[in-house]
Amino acid sequence: MAIENRIRRLRFDAGEMTQKDLADRVGVTRQTILAIENGKYAPTLDLAFRIARAFGVPLDQVFTFQGD
Amino acid sequence: MSYGEREAMTGLITSLIVVALFLWHLSGQHGDGVFDGPEALQVWARMVLLLVAWSIGIAIVVSIGFHILYGMLTGEKPDDRRDERDRDIERRALTWAWYLLSFGLLGVIIDLAMGATAFRAMNLVLALCAGSEIFNDGVKLWLYRRGA
Repeated sequence: MAIENRIRRLRFDAGEMTQKDLADRVGVTRQTILAIENGKYAPTLDLAFRIARAFGVPLDQVFTFQGD
Repeated sequence: MSYGEREAMTGLITSLIVVALFLWHLSGQHGDGVFDGPEALQVWARMVLLLVAWSIGIAIVVSIGFHILYGMLTGEKPDDRRDERDRDIERRALTWAWYLLSFGLLGVIIDLAMGATAFRAMNLVLALCAGSEIFNDGVKLWLYRRGA
């Protein structure tokens, strides 16, 4: 997948926030957070912004595009 | 296990039970010669309506049973949320199942054109509907399992 993310790192920096905590904050299931973290699922723009807001950082600090 | 995954699992179990029951009932009726008369299609249609009623009842029982069993085995409170990934998986599985159904129907039409009876065609259509439903739930489960 061309989109990489730093969610695991950001969770760690946010006091070892669990996947469940993040999922509850952004309104999705824990399995969806797991799939995004593992690069198996690309979130919609809406969810991507909600994840970034949950960490209090800009979007490009959570997701980066690695394609051409 | 997410709500969507549990739903796909219960859907698959329900479909398999209903198909097995229907085939068992159908073979019994066929053995009794019920489909040999001129009203074979009407008898068949009544059986299909019975199948629909069974499906609803079995779906409720399987869903409740699975919910209770899941809670007992895992000890976790089920998350009944449905999010964008669930909808994405549902859409992908439905697309594949739709292709199966479309090409299958084309096959049935070709079969009819080559001289198959209406009774055979109706059975094939029913089998296709059941098959595509099972396929739909199977694809959903596969996508959930591989973490899509």
